[in-house]
Amino acid sequence: MTATTIASALDAPTRTALAGFLLAMADDEFVIGFSDSEWTGIAPILEEDVAMSSIAQDELGHARALYELLAGLLDDGRDADALAYDREPEAYRHARLLDHGRGDWAMTIARRFLYDTADAARLASIGAGWPPLAELVAKIRREERYHAMHALAWVDRLARAGGEARARFVAALDELARDAPSVLATPGGEAALLEAGILGRSMAAAFDAWRSDVAGVLRPLMIPLALEPAADAARHRAAPSDDFRWLWGEFTSVRRSEPGATW
Amino acid sequence: MTDDLDQIARMLDEGAPVTPGEPPAGVLEPWEVFRQEKDGDAMRHGGNVLAPDAELALHYARELFGRRGESIRLWVVRRADIHVLEDLDLLQPPLDRSFKKPGGYVMRDKLAAARGRAGTSKPGARAASHGGTGRRSEGER
Repeated sequence: MTATTIASALDAPTRTALAGFLLAMADDEFVIGFSDSEWTGIAPILEEDVAMSSIAQDELGHARALYELLAGLLDDGRDADALAYDREPEAYRHARLLDHGRGDWAMTIARRFLYDTADAARLASIGAGWPPLAELVAKIRREERYHAMHALAWVDRLARAGGEARARFVAALDELARDAPSVLATPGGEAALLEAGILGRSMAAAFDAWRSDVAGVLRPLMIPLALEPAADAARHRAAPSDDFRWLWGEFTSVRRSEPGATW
Repeated sequence: MTDDLDQIARMLDEGAPVTPGEPPAGVLEPWEVFRQEKDGDAMRHGGNVLAPDAELALHYARELFGRRGESIRLWVVRRADIHVLEDLDLLQPPLDRSFKKPGGYVMRDKLAAARGRAGTSKPGARAASHGGTGRRSEGER
C-alpha cells in the first residue's frame, strides 16, 4: 500500500497535522545534513572528514525518505526534490536551532549533540498510528543511534580537553541553548496526531525526556545548561537567519541553474 | 622577511615538545583494522585509521570499512601494541626443511632416482589399489 492510499484513511485535520509534522522533520534533517556536509574536505582529520560526511549523507537520506512520505500524502504532483528545493527560504520549517550555521568544530558538535538528542526524543514519540511513518522511523532510529554515539564521543572529548576546546564548546552550547528546544516545539494539530496514534506522546513530554537526557550527559562534565520549552509557533519565523539564507542559496544553486531539468 | 622567519621559529618553539613513549591523551596514532566479511570467515587485515583512542578508532573503522555493509565484524588494534619479529633471517631456513611443509616430502624425484638404480618401471595403477579391497587387488593381477 502506498502512502497515498493509507493517507486516505486519515481525516482531513489529521492529514494536515501530519503533513506539517513531516515537513518540519524533513526540513530539520535536510538542513542539518546539508550544513554538516560542508565539513567534507575540511574536517579536523581525514577519518573525521569521512565520518562527518557519511553522517551528513545519512541525514539527507532521512530527509529524502520523509519528503517522499510527504509527497505521497500531499499527492499534488510535487516529488521529494520539488519539496526539498523549490521553496523560498521563508517557507522552510526547520527548527530555530538549525538557523545557526555550522560555525567552528565546537559549534558543529554542540549543534549535532543538541539536535541528535532532541531528534531521538522526537523519534521515540512516534507511535504506530500511520504505518508508513512508523516503519520509516524504525529504520531511521537504527542509524540515529550511531549518530548520537559519534556526537557524544566528541562532546566528551571537547569538554574534558579543557582549555580552548572546552571554552569554545561551552560557549557554543550557551549560544544554542535558547533555540535548541524549538526542535521539540508543539506541532500544529498535535491533539489530532495523538488521537490517531501517530504520536504516542506529546512533544512537551518529549521535551522533558530530552532535557533530562541532556542534563545526564552534561552534569558529569560540569556544564550547566538551562533549557526552557519552546513557544508553540517556534518553527514559524518572520525571517530566516542570514546563515540559513546563505545555506539556502548554496543548496538550491544547482537546481535553480536549470529549472525543470532532469538530473 | 627575517621578521617572518623569526615569527615562524617562535611559533614552532611554542609547540608542545615531542616526547617518546606513551602518547598523551588526544594525540592521533595509527590503529590497525581487522574485518570479517561473512560469518565463518577469518578476521582479515583491512587497513588502518588514525584516531586518538579506541572509541573513535572504532567509529572511523566503521565509516571506512563497514558503512557499505562490507563487514559483519570489526576489530581495531593499536599499532603500538603489535610486536614485530625484527630478525627476518629467522624466517628463512638455511637448510632443506621441506618436510615441515604441509605437503610433506616431495617424493617424485627421489622415487624416480631409486627406480633408475633398481631398473624397475613405474608401478602405474597398482598404487591406486592401496586402500582398496583384496578382491580388487586380485582382479588387477
